[in-house]
Amino acid sequence: MEAILVDCVQNSLRHFMYRNAIFMCERLCAEFPSETNMQLLAGCYLHSNQSYAAYHILKGTQMAQSRYMFALSCFQMDLLNEAEAALCPPNEPGAEIPNGAAGHYLLGLIYRYTDRRKTAVHHFKQALSADPLMWTAYEELCVLGAAEEATAVFGEAAALCIQKQYLPHGSASQSLHTSTEDRGLASSGNFCPGADDASPRQLKHMQGNNQRDIPGNYHGATALGGAASQPSNGGSSNISFYNTPSPMASQLSGVAPPPLCRNAQPNGPNQSIVTVDSSPRSTVNSTIQAPRRKFVDEGKLRKISGRLFSDSGPRRSTRLSGDAGANSNVSATMVVGNGTSNSSKYLGGSKLSSMAFRAVTIRKVQSWTNENIDEGIRNETFDDSRTNVTSTTSSLSPSGDTKSLEQEGTTIPISGGIMNGSKVISGASEILGLLRTLGEGYRLSCMYRCQEALDVYLKLPHKHYNTGWVLSQVGKAYFELVDYLEAEGAFSLARQASPYSLEGMDTYSTVLYHLKEDMKLSYLAQELISTDRLASQSWCAMGNCYSLQKDHETALRNFQRAVQLNPRFAYAHTLCGHEYVALEDFENGIKSYQSALRVDARHYNSWYGLGMIYLRQEKYEFSEHHFRMAFQINSRSSVIMSYLGTALHALKKSDEALVIMEKAILADKKNPLPMYQKANILVSLENFDEALEALEELKEFAPRESSIYALMGKIYKRRNMHDKAMLHFGLALDLKPPATDVATIKAAIEKLHVPDELQDYL
Amino acid sequence: MATESSEGEDEGKVTGGNPVLIVEDDLREMGKKAAWSVSSCKPGNGVSSLRDDNLETYWQSDGAQPHLVNIQFQKKVKLQLVVLYLDFKLDESYTPSKISIRAGDGFHNLKEIKTMELVKPTGWVYLSLSGNDPRETFVNTFMLQIAVLSNHLNGRDTHLRQIKLYGPRPNPIPHQPFHFTSREFINYSSVR
Repeated sequence: MEAILVDCVQNSLRHFMYRNAIFMCERLCAEFPSETNMQLLAGCYLHSNQSYAAYHILKGTQMAQSRYMFALSCFQMDLLNEAEAALCPPNEPGAEIPNGAAGHYLLGLIYRYTDRRKTAVHHFKQALSADPLMWTAYEELCVLGAAEEATAVFGEAAALCIQKQYLPHGSASQSLHTSTEDRGLASSGNFCPGADDASPRQLKHMQGNNQRDIPGNYHGATALGGAASQPSNGGSSNISFYNTPSPMASQLSGVAPPPLCRNAQPNGPNQSIVTVDSSPRSTVNSTIQAPRRKFVDEGKLRKISGRLFSDSGPRRSTRLSGDAGANSNVSATMVVGNGTSNSSKYLGGSKLSSMAFRAVTIRKVQSWTNENIDEGIRNETFDDSRTNVTSTTSSLSPSGDTKSLEQEGTTIPISGGIMNGSKVISGASEILGLLRTLGEGYRLSCMYRCQEALDVYLKLPHKHYNTGWVLSQVGKAYFELVDYLEAEGAFSLARQASPYSLEGMDTYSTVLYHLKEDMKLSYLAQELISTDRLASQSWCAMGNCYSLQKDHETALRNFQRAVQLNPRFAYAHTLCGHEYVALEDFENGIKSYQSALRVDARHYNSWYGLGMIYLRQEKYEFSEHHFRMAFQINSRSSVIMSYLGTALHALKKSDEALVIMEKAILADKKNPLPMYQKANILVSLENFDEALEALEELKEFAPRESSIYALMGKIYKRRNMHDKAMLHFGLALDLKPPATDVATIKAAIEKLHVPDELQDYL
Repeated sequence: MATESSEGEDEGKVTGGNPVLIVEDDLREMGKKAAWSVSSCKPGNGVSSLRDDNLETYWQSDGAQPHLVNIQFQKKVKLQLVVLYLDFKLDESYTPSKISIRAGDGFHNLKEIKTMELVKPTGWVYLSLSGNDPRETFVNTFMLQIAVLSNHLNGRDTHLRQIKLYGPRPNPIPHQPFHFTSREFINYSSVR
């Protein structure tokens, strides 16, 4: 009965019928209470986005997989202390982190959100070294500012790591297949280290099926693997092999990687989930949850169904298809959808044409592997992805990026056993090559070296460049370079490539805000809200729309909604801060900016916002400190530099101020502001000639800027060159400044005449 | 800001009123930062009705004329426009007919800056505080006092349904002598 129930639950999970799965699983747990079954039940709940249920079920459990899933639920419920305690029990300092790379990734996230940056960085690095295809770990490192160059991270060592994962597995699988059913059981038993021994009967069932098919496959694999077939070795290698997939799962949104069980399954299922991960962390949170769950369950399923190789297939394929062009978020959904189809189908469906050749190899593999090798097992959603396995061979592709597609090349040793050593190597190198480019580009944009980042992204092959994620990153890079027109172009292409994706759309709305395109902005906001009412980015866009129309109170409400939906989204906090400042509520503005900095200490916009508040409040030293922090993070921004200069000037350190202004002028030729500020400083230093020179230059740049003429008029007035002053004041007035300026200028004009009048009377 | 006909320096007559409240973009409401008080009121129709954005509620005075609304700021602010919502059809003899606006540092040195005669106003009545001189666009003051000197049909007490106070928007970039007008300057002037 237990076997049937388990099978039923896994089947339901595969088909996304969560309510059925939960119900049947509860019967299973009631009839056969065991920790494995509890894990399965928790997995069902996690899949259907009810992490609180998983939390209560798994509270106090000790198995590695349970601890991992428990930590995952805690993380989703924002109980970071408990999550940390589950993954790193305080009384067992030497305990191994469950689920290897995935566990490290989850721990890294926990440390990051509890402000322990160094430890977080350490764990992300561990995760990456355990699973080089864990893109989200690298992303987190970039955001924390601690990423090494992509060439180093996704380089030789990574390639070797990937190969080790696949090749030994192949040999192991051979051994498995060739072994008797017992061995198979043993190995399968090995595969799921954390799980209670799934009923050997179940395993046997699967094994029985698989073994028929697999031996054939394994032959090929054996040749490749060339490893001694020792069931135990195979088992263990399998296990380790499987481990890597889990990290990928974690990519999903930084949420804990799929449970250890995945280990058993080759990257397949994980991978698919992983792709989902590629989406930005902040936005991913909500979306990722779903995919992750899947993994968790899958792992369990695998254990239970005893299907050894099912994982790799479906997941990978889904991932691959998912990767094609979609943001990771999208891919998640894609993966899910694809889950059921065979990997081959995925291949066909996947947009990535590059996969084509891989598809060929995979298809070949598929033909060998008849059934459901793993795929079905792991991914609930992907049932019988035997063929998937082949597609998942690329399994290494947890790195959500399109790179995962490349993984196709690496045949999954498990699935079809067809993984060729050479294929693994070539596939791994392709994936790593793609990851290298993307990683380097992302790292450079996090360091705000945007022009270099753009150059790196241009090196991508066309099909990868024209994907939502990459185009969004390109848009962000242009945004940071204050080239709003190009940014707008890139973002609109990104919308076309993946209209359902929300990553980067908050930046797009800010670009439209700067360009004052209220029609496009309101259209974007409406579209985003109708796509996903529960995403922070949609409400950020809506808020920007209202802010553009100067309705700051409504804009603030919208940004607060965005904050409520995702308190870990730093930009929403920053935008709240900007609105508070516009409403002149500086106290709350400071609080908002500080919340943003708590989430992401490298969010230079918040440092800038704080600097501006202190500048307004005339607390110049604070202001200078904050602008300097912003400058340290983003040293290419001429805007930050010019404000730093203004603050320095207010502190009477005018020489330093002028130096910084010069730097700012050089940093961005198109920015007229530093020159204007320089003129301001020179005027207050009574250095009128240089000031006039600077302003004359500036006139060429921006001939229709009234403040230039106004300032020049002021200088001529001080110099007593009244006719020139009159001329410039007149020009300034012609350019229609706002009423306050009109008043000031006219007052100045009146005062101009007084000396003349006095002279007349004399 | 329509339907305002101010002739002469101090006095002007206003007839009717605007059903909608429209102000220029470069003005913003300043009343939130002020302390509002009134010379007298009937219980239930107090000073809060003047600022609740509800045109159904009104302030009703309960004493001798002139009835005063005092608006005090913590720092000197530039004010440009006062807008009142009055309704002769509903309030009849409670509708003010002569209004005087005074400004100064406090109760001891208020000086009249504007008077207005209203004839059967219904709707928003715009009272600009600017002088003719462009230098006098704003009134820079700590305190503003709106005095109701007399009502229609010689009523004793008065109803005021809503008061809004407008001044210029501050320069979005601090420590700038002048506002920026061109797109290039504005784009680079802040980080969002």
